[in-house]
Amino acid sequence: MVTNWIGLGAGLIASISALFWRRAESKRLAAIKTPTKKQARPKKMATALIILGIWVFLSEGISLIFGASDKGEFTVELFAPRVSLFGLSISSTVLVTWIAMLALLIVALILRLTVIPHLRDIPSGAQNVLEIMVGGISDYTEATSGGGLGDNLNAYFFSVAALMIASAMVELFGVRAPTADITMTFSLALITFVLINYYGIRRKGLKGRIKSLAEPTPVVFPMRIVSDVAVPVSLACRLFGNMLGGMIVMDLLYSSLGNFGIAIPSVAGLYFNVFHPLIQVFIFITLSLTFIREAAELTEE
Amino acid sequence: MNIGYVAIGAAMCLLSCVASGLAMGLATGKAVEAVARQPEASGKITSILLLGLALTESTAIYGFVSALIMMFTLS
Repeated sequence: MVTNWIGLGAGLIASISALFWRRAESKRLAAIKTPTKKQARPKKMATALIILGIWVFLSEGISLIFGASDKGEFTVELFAPRVSLFGLSISSTVLVTWIAMLALLIVALILRLTVIPHLRDIPSGAQNVLEIMVGGISDYTEATSGGGLGDNLNAYFFSVAALMIASAMVELFGVRAPTADITMTFSLALITFVLINYYGIRRKGLKGRIKSLAEPTPVVFPMRIVSDVAVPVSLACRLFGNMLGGMIVMDLLYSSLGNFGIAIPSVAGLYFNVFHPLIQVFIFITLSLTFIREAAELTEE
Repeated sequence: MNIGYVAIGAAMCLLSCVASGLAMGLATGKAVEAVARQPEASGKITSILLLGLALTESTAIYGFVSALIMMFTLS
């Protein structure tokens, strides 16, 4: 209790005095034309001391208001907790996915009603952003999947990317991300598996697809079947493992910092909750398109 | 089932991270050499590198997921 008040006072004094110091340093630096790095160093130290003082002040303030954090046991669940909705027991993953889908639908409705009726030849603003997103994914899908497979593939992969990014954004609010559940990632990988076989059968016919599995020699037929089954399993496990690993690291960071977790977890969260999901979405789409291209490719013409 | 056996099994699962880390370091080294040789192709090299890194990391992820499943469902 006493140490909290001492820390509060120390943080307050440090930040206020560093504010005056920084102001004096800025006035001194404005007199010099081009300051060298060594001359500009005191100002940076003053800025760092301000931030440190504010951090200590806020942390001790939280400890005083809410009491010390109890460092109990750190547990992590493999499967998401189940809630009961209208008498059915649903996993919380499904509920959060519905909320993410609702948010995406509302954004799409708003865009449809405000941007689409006023399309111009020279885009600007929201139309520019939309064109960059749709055009980017469309070109990438055409290039990676070899072209000629129709526009529905572009639309599907855009929706999948939007759903995965929305699921990752939910993690910023402290809720367990839906993609950190192996049932959801396995569903997405299963859709990819169905798409691979659909495009393969559409291009080559059913007999052609089975014959293409015996491509170099018929001896490799069982191994090709196993590797074809391993494709959706590997897609699902990769996405699940990455999301779950990020969630475990963020939970460890929050639970170990306790009341001092004010600015540090957000910097780490920028890597684990924003950059990692984007890379995983890119990898998922690239791998799905590569396998679809491999299945739908005609090798004799 | 004894929790000691489960713990040893889960720890042995995670040995695949050694090979994965070594492979990813070697790949990044070769990519840096390629960019140093031809800096104009840096965008293409970066995207190929990221694809290769994510695929190689998946073997480490398999070990991690297997260890997790072992720890949570066998004891």
